[in-house]
Amino acid sequence: MDIFGVLNMGSKALMVQQKGIYVTGNNIANVNTPGYSRQRLNMSSDVPLNTGIGPVGSGVTANEIERVYQRFLGVQINNETQSLGQREAHKDALERVEVVFNESGGYGLNHVMSEFWNAWQDLTNNPSGPVERTVLVAKSEMLAATFSKSYEDLQKIQRDIDSSIEVSVEEINRLSENMVDLNQKIIQTELGGHTANDYRDQRDLVLKELSELIDIGSFEDANGGVTVSVGSGQVLVEGTRSYKLSTQPDVSGLQDVTWVDSSGNTVTITNDISKGKLKGWLDARDLDIDRHLNNLDTLAHDLMEAVNTVHASGYGLDGSTLNNFFTGAATAAGIEVNPLIANDTNLIAAANGPDKPGDSSNAIAIANLQEAPMMNGNTTTFGAYYDSMVSDAGFAVQQATSYYDHQSQMVLQVENYRESISGVSIDEETVNLIKYQNAYQAAAKLINTADEMMETILSMI
Amino acid sequence: MRVTQNIITSNFISYINQNAENLLKTQQQVASQKRINKSSDDPIGMGQVLGYRTKLAVTGQYQKNIEQAMTRIEFNEVTLDLASNLVDMARGLAAEYSGSTQSAAARQSAALQAKDIYNQIMQIANSKFNGNYIFSGHATDTVPFSHVGDFNAGYNGDDGDFRIMVSDNVEVNLVADGRKVFQDAANGGVNIFDELKNLIDGLEDPDPVAGSAQIEATLDVLQDGRDQINNRRSEYALSLYRLQATDEYMTNLRSKMEEAMATLEQADITKAVVELQNLELAYETTIATAARIIQPSLLDFLR
Repeated sequence: MDIFGVLNMGSKALMVQQKGIYVTGNNIANVNTPGYSRQRLNMSSDVPLNTGIGPVGSGVTANEIERVYQRFLGVQINNETQSLGQREAHKDALERVEVVFNESGGYGLNHVMSEFWNAWQDLTNNPSGPVERTVLVAKSEMLAATFSKSYEDLQKIQRDIDSSIEVSVEEINRLSENMVDLNQKIIQTELGGHTANDYRDQRDLVLKELSELIDIGSFEDANGGVTVSVGSGQVLVEGTRSYKLSTQPDVSGLQDVTWVDSSGNTVTITNDISKGKLKGWLDARDLDIDRHLNNLDTLAHDLMEAVNTVHASGYGLDGSTLNNFFTGAATAAGIEVNPLIANDTNLIAAANGPDKPGDSSNAIAIANLQEAPMMNGNTTTFGAYYDSMVSDAGFAVQQATSYYDHQSQMVLQVENYRESISGVSIDEETVNLIKYQNAYQAAAKLINTADEMMETILSMI
Repeated sequence: MRVTQNIITSNFISYINQNAENLLKTQQQVASQKRINKSSDDPIGMGQVLGYRTKLAVTGQYQKNIEQAMTRIEFNEVTLDLASNLVDMARGLAAEYSGSTQSAAARQSAALQAKDIYNQIMQIANSKFNGNYIFSGHATDTVPFSHVGDFNAGYNGDDGDFRIMVSDNVEVNLVADGRKVFQDAANGGVNIFDELKNLIDGLEDPDPVAGSAQIEATLDVLQDGRDQINNRRSEYALSLYRLQATDEYMTNLRSKMEEAMATLEQADITKAVVELQNLELAYETTIATAARIIQPSLLDFLR
């Protein structure tokens, strides 16, 4: 309780308020830093001195810089971000698929199929007409080309998805290394008993970025390091060690996601991925696009078979018979007009007997296939089968979009909730700044007073 | 709830994105005049629209078939009208010469006339439409009737019909078998060529009495022959009537389908424009309010 005590108290107060200004300044500086949690200076009154008149306070002391944070929110954000990543990737891929089935301009497979059947009807009007025959071949080639173009476009999307998957796996490995680095820094920092606030924020951000790509499980060890696992429990990060993910082509040439252990053995985890962008892409690639490819193949196969069966039973202008109209593999990519027919349109079998150039019976039989229920166990026409594929693709986008919209709202909500707890408010920090500044000024005044007191004493000598 | 500047900005960005997206969609509708611009706009509607498009295309094709068939029938009609008149002329000749009062020279010249009629009818029976013989059945590249002997016509075609697809699995068949028009003796009808030969033979018979009897015998048969041709003509007329009726029905059907498709596919422009205005207002309001909320902070009010 002497003058030096006052001086000492003033100097401590100055330092503590200055720390407060420093922390406030750090908050303001990081107002837009992603993942940053605002920090708060915890201070308390210093140990009082016991005197004859009882304990007397000895000023202020700074205890620690605390990070304002709610742990469960971090977990929730990661979970919702995993779903968002999945929905977003799925939606984006399906939107590209829908473009392949774009019929709004009237130039898709629906249109081309109509033209194909109409060309057969034109032939019935003039079964021996060279013009009608040439047009029929041209329209048929167009049909085959449209089939394979649709098929290839879908495969192109699969390949694009594959390269996205490869890039993401690289990204996951980079994030894992990042995480190891941060784990190390946190463990070291916290050995001294203080929380590594900023590193923890950064690590949370890395966890969130990982969550966007793949579903992860994570927990924190006693020493502060985080363990992250993917797939069916494969460890990605364990304290200061990390493992790698990799990709390798499966039997159909599409990329599988694999986990590589320390001795270089790989475990395929493709089917264990249940969320994140990887899941969205895998679903689009292996379920949606695969289904469309199969349906296109079925359509091409059935159409080819039906036309060929009728065509082979008929006779060409040159008396030839048993010719297939379409050849090549019975798939969307393989179907093509019989090259013999393309070279010699006389082979088109419009008649049901030789030497009947005016007979259109067989052409009529083929033209009638358009309205015949040939697909789905003889319940659906070729056209209706394709139309339902278009509807299917549109419906998938509609559904994926509504999932995505819903999920983005969820993430926005949770993020806002996190922001309302951990985010920096400029208004609040401005108030704090003024508060600390005033306290700093007052502490300075205290030192000034102690100085004057000292002078008074000294002048007495 | 504690509200920070970041909450305000991220909410604002989310709202403005939503508004902008809705605005874009409505703009697209107004610009394209279509409600369904891609399948996901209305998957079921898109499926129906495609169904209508297919139906419209095939109906258009049926009408094209009908149009071509009608031209063909009209050509048949003109041809057979001519044939019918020629048979009539032959019958007139037969009536004129069935009495034996005519001189040998007159009968000679009548025989020449009858031969001319014979040749004309054969020429008519061998008519081509669009490069194809119309009375040789399916053997459209083969001359239907040819001279086997002197005024003895043989048929080289087959019995095929000309078939027209007029609707799903519905066909109209036109007789293209020349025998059914000119040589239907096998079905109890008349072989017009043979009958004309009888007439020619009668006219050329040096014995006027026997010749006259032969000429007289052709009178009724030629009458039947003319009827035979005219029966075919009325069959064609019936087909023509049927085709016309189908064509009319399809024109109606098409306009109905187009209407239904338009209702399904086209945007209600008035509604879309009003909606566009509403969305514009919402967009502008969001921006305006955000501009007022985002800007100020406590700093603006200190000192």
